[in-house]
Order: sequence, then C-alpha cells, then structure tokens
Amino acid sequence: MAGMQFDVTEAADGAEALEACRKAMPDVILLDWNMPVMNGLDFLRALRREAGGKSPKVVFCSTETDRDHITEALRSGADEFVMKPFDTDILQSKFAEVGLV
Amino acid sequence: MQEATFNTLADLALKTTGQFISPSKAYLVEARLSNILRREGFASCDDLVACLDARPNPVFEGEVAAALQTRQTWFFRDRDMLERLVGDVIPAKLKQSKAGRLRILCAGASTGQEAYSLAILLGEHSQALAGARIDITATDICKQSLNTARAGTYGHFEIQRGLSVHRLMRHFDQLETGQWQASEELRRAIGFRQHNLLDAEAPLGQFDIIICAHVLSGMSKSMRARAADLLTKKLVPGGLLFLGHGETLSGSTPAFEPSRTHRGAWEVVPEARRKVA
Repeated sequence: MAGMQFDVTEAADGAEALEACRKAMPDVILLDWNMPVMNGLDFLRALRREAGGKSPKVVFCSTETDRDHITEALRSGADEFVMKPFDTDILQSKFAEVGLV
Repeated sequence: MQEATFNTLADLALKTTGQFISPSKAYLVEARLSNILRREGFASCDDLVACLDARPNPVFEGEVAAALQTRQTWFFRDRDMLERLVGDVIPAKLKQSKAGRLRILCAGASTGQEAYSLAILLGEHSQALAGARIDITATDICKQSLNTARAGTYGHFEIQRGLSVHRLMRHFDQLETGQWQASEELRRAIGFRQHNLLDAEAPLGQFDIIICAHVLSGMSKSMRARAADLLTKKLVPGGLLFLGHGETLSGSTPAFEPSRTHRGAWEVVPEARRKVA
C-alpha cells in the first residue's frame, strides 16, 4: 500500500485498530479476518458504530473465502473483499472498485 | 530455444493469426506453449518445431499458433468503453432498430471476461433495455481459451481482477473446488464460437456492434489492415467497432474512421472514399 502512495499505519489486532481509528479515521482499512483479541468482523461492526466510522472504505482481506464468510463480511459493512493470496493488480483493482485509485 | 525455432514459431503466428512476436518476447513463446509441450511430451520448443517440420499437420499448427496468442484479459478491462456502450450506444441503436434486436460480437474474446462483463452490465441495465433482444457472440481462435470461456469458470486470481465482490456474489456461484462459475443466466446470454479474425469465410453473420479490444494492436500492420477489412464485412450498415483503451486504427487501415456520433467508436468508410493508408 505504501507503494500506492498511501500513508500506512499498522495495527496488530482489532482492538489496536479501533484505538488507532478513534485517534485518526483513515480513508481505507485493509482488514484481516483472523486476529487475536478482536477479530476482523467484530472490529468492523464496532468501527461502523463509532462516530465517523462509516466513512473509511473497508477492504476485507482473508483466507476465509467461501460464500458464507464473504456474505457475512459484506453484511457487517465491508466495501470490498480480497481473497488471499492476492497480488498488487488485484489490490489495485479492489481499491478502484471502492473509488480510491 | 534456438533462433531458428523462434523464427519458425513467430512466422507461424504471423501467418495464422497475424500476431507479431518480437524476438525480445521469445521468453513468452516457451511460456505460452508449455501446456502443449507437456501434453505432447516434447522436451522443448526445438523438439516441437522439429516435429512440425518432419510431419506437417495443419490442425496442430493452428493449435500452436492459437496458443501463442496473448490470453491476458480481465473483467471490466475496458470499463469506460463498456459503460458507454451499454449506457448510451445500445439505447441509441435500439431506437433505430425496428425489431428491437441488436447483435454484438466480442471478437478475440480470449477466456471470456470481456463478454461476461458486457452481459453483467446489460443485466444491470435491464429495466432501461426492457423488451430489447441483445445477442452476444464471443469468438476466439484458441479452443482452450474458449473452453474456459464457455465454462465461465475462473480461479482465485482471475475472478478477482476487475470484478467487484458485489458483482461476484450476484453473478457467480462458488464450486466445491473453490473456483467461481458464471451463473447459468450469464452463460446462456453469450454464444461462444471458434473463429480466426483473418478467416474471410466464417459464417458468423453481421453485427450492429463489434468489440475488438487488445487484439488488432498485437498484429503486424499489414495483418491489422486485413483483419480490419474483414471486420467491415461483419458490420451491418451504420454498425460500430469499439477497440480497447489506448488503441487506434488511425494510420493502419483506410477501412475505418472515428465515429462522429459515438465517441471512441469507429465507423466503416465507404469503399469509394477509402485512400490507401
């Protein structure tokens, strides 16, 4: 993402990500599903309840690539979904879908 | 690969499909023929060419030439063109059509992503196009690519390039293998046919709109002019040709000129007005 001219901040888990968002809401969040402390889905639901939490574009990025998981991510407020593994072309394509590049 | 082998294969591609392969792209030749080499038990391209020399086989030569073509494509590769086509051009053409029917050709459709993108957009505009009958024919020279296109089945990387997750969920089913298959409705919307753009005899009929994206620009200048000339015969009077992003026919052929009515489209120049390019 840094190579695509984004300023990137990393968070180790959902709780850390939520704290980072409360300090400064990002334009886009690339979100893993499986994380310690707070998983991606719980983070996303919590984020969308935060003040300003509906504005970031959330691109889920996961090895959980069956239809049920993808549906759950979209219902919880994800804008896009990247199935792992992926390459830069796919990431750029997904960012284009959410109007970021 | 020996230089003579490359030259033989490059000549075969030029003669059969019009594609120009520069010597700097020799590495692509081995990659594109790898499936045929493996299937036929050849250790190298040198062995394959030796076999073609010893036992000429036009069918196999055709297959080799088709395999040498670039198959690279992705969903909504020419998004602006497709959106303009479905949003503006097709409604305008339908107004002129007494029968409310249009025929569209995707020429050089490779593994089908462009044709499926068009079918997806047409489905999304179905209310505005209500009552219209729009037939999509998609052609390619390569049987292997057409098999993929007909099946509408794509792997992990192919399905994610250019396709939003929302369209994926709406128009594709997930198979037990983890691959994704275009819905039956989408697959039924497209007729896939094997066809060489340089073949004057193919009974495809005539079309109101032809999309030929990222195909002609890979051809030598003389073959591009020949293919363009043959495309004029596949268009109904007033028909339109659409190329891929960044492509042009200016300076390549006197047979087409930019449309004055539809931005980005090309119209056939009446034969009496054509000057040699």
